[in-house]
Amino acid sequence: MSAQRVALWAAEPDLDDDINDVDIPLTIPPYQNADLYDDPNLDESALLAVQAQIAQQTALAQIPDVVKRFIIHFHQAVLDNDLPEITLAYESGWNRLTEKFYARTEWPEAEIIAPLVNDDQIFLILYRELCYRHVYSRLQPDIDDRFHSYENSCELFNYLLNSEVGPVPLSLPAQWLWDIVDEFIYQFQSFALYRSRPANKTDEELAMLGSEGGAQAWSSYSVLNVLYSLIQKSRVNEWLKARAEGKSDEEIDEIVGEYGTKPLYRQLGYFSLIGLLRVHVLLGDFTLALKVMDNAGLGLCAGEKVPFTAPTATHVSTAYHAGVCYLMLRRFTDAARVFTGCLNWVMRARQYHTRSYQYDQINKTADRMYALLALCQTLAPTRLDDNVINVVKERYGEQMTRMGRGEEGLGTFEEIFLYACPKFITANPPPYNDPNTLALLINPPTPSSPSSPTPTSGTPTITDPTQRHLRALSAHFLALSPVPTLRSLLKLYTSLDARKLAGFLDAGVDEEEVLSWMMVMKNAGRCVGRVRGAAGADKDEKNGASTANGSSAGSSLLDGEWMSISDLNFVIDENMIHIAESTVGRRYAGWFIRNSEHAARVFDGLRASPLPGSLPGAKTQGKGGESKGDTSKDTAPRTSGQKVAWSKVV
Amino acid sequence: MTSATSEWLTPSTRTELIENLVSGVDRYNPSNVSILEDYLYHQIRSGEYDCLANLAILKLYQFNSDLYNPDVVVNILLKALTAEPFPDYNLCTSLLDDRLVNMNPDEPDPLPVLLPILTNLYNLLHQCRFPAFWTFYHSDELESLRENYIVECVGFEEAIREVAARAVKATFTRIGLDRLGTYVDLSGPELEMWIEKQGWSLDISIRTVSIPSNPDNEIESVVIRENVKLAQLQKVIAHAAQVK
Repeated sequence: MSAQRVALWAAEPDLDDDINDVDIPLTIPPYQNADLYDDPNLDESALLAVQAQIAQQTALAQIPDVVKRFIIHFHQAVLDNDLPEITLAYESGWNRLTEKFYARTEWPEAEIIAPLVNDDQIFLILYRELCYRHVYSRLQPDIDDRFHSYENSCELFNYLLNSEVGPVPLSLPAQWLWDIVDEFIYQFQSFALYRSRPANKTDEELAMLGSEGGAQAWSSYSVLNVLYSLIQKSRVNEWLKARAEGKSDEEIDEIVGEYGTKPLYRQLGYFSLIGLLRVHVLLGDFTLALKVMDNAGLGLCAGEKVPFTAPTATHVSTAYHAGVCYLMLRRFTDAARVFTGCLNWVMRARQYHTRSYQYDQINKTADRMYALLALCQTLAPTRLDDNVINVVKERYGEQMTRMGRGEEGLGTFEEIFLYACPKFITANPPPYNDPNTLALLINPPTPSSPSSPTPTSGTPTITDPTQRHLRALSAHFLALSPVPTLRSLLKLYTSLDARKLAGFLDAGVDEEEVLSWMMVMKNAGRCVGRVRGAAGADKDEKNGASTANGSSAGSSLLDGEWMSISDLNFVIDENMIHIAESTVGRRYAGWFIRNSEHAARVFDGLRASPLPGSLPGAKTQGKGGESKGDTSKDTAPRTSGQKVAWSKVV
Repeated sequence: MTSATSEWLTPSTRTELIENLVSGVDRYNPSNVSILEDYLYHQIRSGEYDCLANLAILKLYQFNSDLYNPDVVVNILLKALTAEPFPDYNLCTSLLDDRLVNMNPDEPDPLPVLLPILTNLYNLLHQCRFPAFWTFYHSDELESLRENYIVECVGFEEAIREVAARAVKATFTRIGLDRLGTYVDLSGPELEMWIEKQGWSLDISIRTVSIPSNPDNEIESVVIRENVKLAQLQKVIAHAAQVK
């Protein structure tokens, strides 16, 4: 029977990989208790069990054969630790079948397919993880899904971290490991957002959320616990430090212990570092987020080497969140540098990723990075990489002009920030276990109602944490709003009296206020930034206190120097403002050198290539696709004594 | 050379115990909050400041709302005010999650009332509107703040004057005496003493203070030109020599 079936299905056009060649070893194993049916003395529970089995068998029979074969094949690959096969099944097989059969529904439950994989619990945990990921991304998870996915994740991490026999003998591709960590945090974020909106919830949901189990599920402490445990178990920080110090492989193996030598744990540890970065950003703790990444560095996007090949999404996620941290720390040069580095890299690497479903996600994050870059540019204009700045101007040019006009740009600023910022969450849920307080939260009493407490005595409100962070940054924007006008005025003078300046501005602005603005402008012209080894032209800069730091190894991501970022410098001598503008000359040498070298290579190539057969009668010309500069000069008559450069010879 | 942020990251006054707490996993342990709170009070009494340790306290409050102590929060915010132009105040507010209904009606939570006031103070400082700051500071609205909190915070006003001094140092080479007085809320002999402590020179006849030069208030017009090194041109020149 099996042989016939394979031949029939082999005609499937889109299953062009090995799935067709897999010989199905068996169909569903027969259940021993099938003859319980006939026994008249059957008790209730056994009957129910048998009925459940029958239900399971029917459900199993309804699954398309293709899917069944895939599951068996996948399971076999995982058992064999066959990394290439697992990668193939995970990346293409699963997605294809999802598109084909389960685009709008859930995959069959783990219990149903259990017989296909001999009830292998570990595989079933991994399978469930994939199912829930599908539910969260394509469908709407309900509260049961959320709780169950949490339990499943806990089981998975428990298995990985707390097995008594040491590191588990599992081998999974890096992409999957990253997805596990990423998805875990995403589900946490999704739950936190869901939980913080107590309105419009059914009674059942409220009850579940208020219960003991409900309070424990997806608690911040447990999420942090998982991430920290993965990091500690794999000793990934020690590993990174040892590598940075250049220790030998044996020494490193000793330092990291038995868990750390396995790639599964090492990669999970590294991805957990990035996961921690993300969680801290979501909770609003920007300094701790950066501190966590001290040993790992910011990876490719900052021009540093990475310890191993990680999926693209890792780098993009790191850059995005690190950039947000720097932005909230008002270190705009660092933020801009991180964003630009990553965007450049994404633009170059884009061609390799069109097939992957991650492409969408990476693009979305890239879009947000462009938006945040626009904000950085408004608050601290600096010269950026040309490619990136062109895209930013293209997309946000109009908004940037509006923001550059001062206070009226506030709305635009907030709009862009709200679009581009991460979805911040609060650490604590609303008081589901206390129905009265909860009711107050949902329906805050209006001041006119007689039973309401006075507003200042702590009427509970739910505010979006994003608003808090937005306010901090908007305040900075507002503080800087007079700067563009001042800049344009100051550019016209080398020295100017403060009173006269006050006169130029809107009526009602007195000298004191102008001086305040000048001090703000001065502050805006400096920010803290990380200093790296400066090359060439930078050494001629005399502005600011930047020093050329030889190496950035071993330094924290939070380190930095005050550096000047404004090209318009001024000083106030009692009432007289002295202005000095510095101009940055265009850097053309690099471009020209690159192109000269390219031309030289072309030239060499031409010289080395064989001459085509020269035509009779054209010998004196000596042409034919190549000509040495001297010979053509000899033949052409020289009327002037001027030497003609080789490139000008036609 | 110590970087601008090294003292902010790891103050020399931080003990090893606190260092371990701040940099390790123990910071999440709720029972450690008292150690950090004691350290905060030490900072208040001695005029020191440790940003990251205070942020650790706020984070513990974020996760364990039963540990919340509004006095501690107000003190942390006050200390953060003195750190301008570092973004400490914003970092602190980012960690202040919403407060729910105060369960204890006997001790009303002062924070919702004080927070807008503190934010106002911060904005005034950030916008360098120092005279307005001092006026607001001495106003009646802030009376409870002054009497309950600031009076215990050693060196608060001094630290605010430092903030003003930093801004003035960067922008001015000479500044009028009276104007400076409004910025630091001093006058007469006190002002003169303060100026001397800063190391600035006072010329009483024209009532002007001269500020010594520092990297920020020295300006020169700089043209940043490219510095093409010979090494970069090496390949091009060598190739040209070959062609002949």
